[in-house]
Amino acid sequence: MTALGQAEAAAFLYREALFLDRGDFDAWLDLYTADCLFWMPAWRDDGTQTDDPDRELSLIFYRSRRNLEDRIQRIRSGFSVASTVMPRVSHMIGNVLAEAMDDAGMRLDSSFIVNVQDVRTNRSHAYFGRYEHELRLEDGAWKIARKVIRLMNDVVPTMLDIYGV
Amino acid sequence: MMKRFALRDLVDDRPQDGVFRINRSLFRDPALFDLEMKHVFEGGWVFVGLSTQAENPHDYFAGTIGRVPIIVSRDGNGELRCFVNACPHKGVRLVQKLCGNARRHVCPYHSWTFDSAGTNRNIKWKKSGCYSAGFDEENHDLASVPRFGEYRGFLFASLNPDVPSLEEHLGETRKLLDLVVDKSPDGVELVPGRVCFTFAANWKMQLENCADQYHFTSTHPSYIRILDQRAKEQSSEVVQSSIAAADFWQEDASGVTGGTYSFDHGHVLNWGVMPVSAALPEYERADDLARAHGTAKRDWMFNMRNLTIFPNLQIAENASSQMRVIRPIAHDLTEMQTWCIAPRGESAQARSFRIRQYEDFFNPTGMATPDDTVCYEEAQYGMAEQERPWLQGHARGLTASVEGGNDYSELIDLKPAQSVLADAQLCDESLFGSYYRAWAARMAEVLS
Repeated sequence: MTALGQAEAAAFLYREALFLDRGDFDAWLDLYTADCLFWMPAWRDDGTQTDDPDRELSLIFYRSRRNLEDRIQRIRSGFSVASTVMPRVSHMIGNVLAEAMDDAGMRLDSSFIVNVQDVRTNRSHAYFGRYEHELRLEDGAWKIARKVIRLMNDVVPTMLDIYGV
Repeated sequence: MMKRFALRDLVDDRPQDGVFRINRSLFRDPALFDLEMKHVFEGGWVFVGLSTQAENPHDYFAGTIGRVPIIVSRDGNGELRCFVNACPHKGVRLVQKLCGNARRHVCPYHSWTFDSAGTNRNIKWKKSGCYSAGFDEENHDLASVPRFGEYRGFLFASLNPDVPSLEEHLGETRKLLDLVVDKSPDGVELVPGRVCFTFAANWKMQLENCADQYHFTSTHPSYIRILDQRAKEQSSEVVQSSIAAADFWQEDASGVTGGTYSFDHGHVLNWGVMPVSAALPEYERADDLARAHGTAKRDWMFNMRNLTIFPNLQIAENASSQMRVIRPIAHDLTEMQTWCIAPRGESAQARSFRIRQYEDFFNPTGMATPDDTVCYEEAQYGMAEQERPWLQGHARGLTASVEGGNDYSELIDLKPAQSVLADAQLCDESLFGSYYRAWAARMAEVLS
C-alpha cells in the first residue's frame, strides 16, 4: 500500500473522531496498535509542555493499548460515578497535514475542538488543541502507533476522560 | 457590628453529648464564603509554595493568598520574600507569568520598577511629576505580606500579622512534613508539570475527602477492579499500584490497619499500614532510610498518609505522592493546583514508576479523582436541603477518639491532640472536628 494522501489521512482522523462521538469504543480501540503510545502532556509553565514522560508529569501517558482497554473497562463498568451519565461529545478536526515518514509510516498533524455537553450538570465546555498521529501499516490496515494530544485549555472542569479529547 | 451568623447554628460541637454536626450552610452560603475568604484564607497562615519553586537568586513564582495575588521571590542575596503582586501605583498585577527569573519587575502599565526584593527602584519621570511632599512620605515598595516563613522548604504566609508563629501553627505536623522531606538527604522537589482542575462545589469537600477513608471502596470500585486485575496479571504493560499491595482499605483485613491523628490549628492525618515493599518507588532506599532514620521512621515513610495542613495544603502519599493546593473561588467553585512531589535524587526507574502511579490515580484525566470530584458536585446539589440542615457525615469514630497519641504515634515521637486507632471498617470521621474547630477559631471575630 502506498502512503495516504491528504484526503485519506483526514478521513482516517474523522473516523477515529466519529467512533469517539458515537461511543463505539471497540472500533476506536481497534484503530490502535497493541504497542501504541498514547500521550497527553501537561504544561510545565505558561508556555512549555512537559516533553519527557519518564521525568515529567503528563495528563495521560500510556505505552500499550492495554491501558486504553482498562480505561474503556472503567467507563463501562457501571462502578464509576463519573461515567454513569455519559457526557455527549462532538469532535471537530481541521488543519490536517499528512506526511510520509522514512519508515513507511505516516505522520498526521491536526487541530481539534471537542465540544462536551456534561449531561449530569447541564454544562457545556470545549476542549481544544492539536493532535500528532503516527500511523503504521499492520496487515494492510493503517493503525495508530503513536498519538500525542496537546491540550491547550488544561484547567480541567471536574474531569476529562479519553473520549473528551 | 451586627453579626449575621451564630457559631452554634453552624457547628454543633457538644462532645459531652457525643454530638458533632456541621450545617449545610457552610457549603452553600455565598455570604459565609465571603467571610471565609477574609478570615480563614486572608486572616491566617496559608501554604504558598515550595522553596524549590524559586531555587536560585531572582527566581519567582506567582500565587494567591485568598483573593490576593502574591509573588514569592528569591532576592539577590538568596533570601525568599513574599509580596503582593500589585503595583502600588494603579494596582496592576506586576507579574503575569506563573514563574520565571527576573532581577527587575517592571509594571506593564506605567513602568514603575521593582527589584527582586520588592523594593521600588524607579518611578517613571518622578522629578517632573510635580508630586506633593505627601507622596514622598508614602512607601512605594511592593507590599510585603506581613508574615512569611518556611519549614524545610514548605512556605507559608499570612496577610494578617496577628497570628501565632509558624512553628506554633504547624506544631507536631512538622514531624509529618519531616517524613516527606527525609525520604532523601537532598529533600523533595516538584516533578515538572502542574495539573490544574476545578470542581463546582465548596472547597471543604476537598478538605474532607483527603482525610475520608470511608469513601474509598464506595467511590472507587471501578479503579479497584482494575488494580485487582493488574495485580493478578502482573503485566509489564500497565503500572502496578501501591494501593493493591496494602490491605488497610480491604473490608476483610484484620487488626489495626491505621487510623487518624488530629492536631491543633486544624491539621489532620489519616493513615494506613503499607508494607515496605517494591510496590512503592521508595523501596530502592528502604535500607538507607532505615540506617539514616531508624526502622520505625522508615516504616512510617512507607505508610499511606494523607496530611492536611489547614486550610489549603494537602500531601497525599497513597497511590503515589501528591501535593495539592486548594484555592476556593466561590461558595460552589474550587480550583485545585496539583503536583507530583518526589524525593530528590531517586533513580530514573523510581521516578518514572512514581509518575505512572500518580497519573493513573490523581489526575483529573485519570481513573480515580474524577469519581471524587463528581461526588463533590453531587454533594453540592444536596446541600440545598433546608429542612434538615445538619449533615450526618462527622459522626464515625466519635466514641473511638481519645486524647493524645497511641503506640503508633510514639514510634516517631508524634504527639497529636486526638487519635483514633482503626480497623479497616472504622473509617474515622471525628478527625474532621479539627478542621471545623480551626475554622471557627479563624471566624470567631465575625460569628456571634
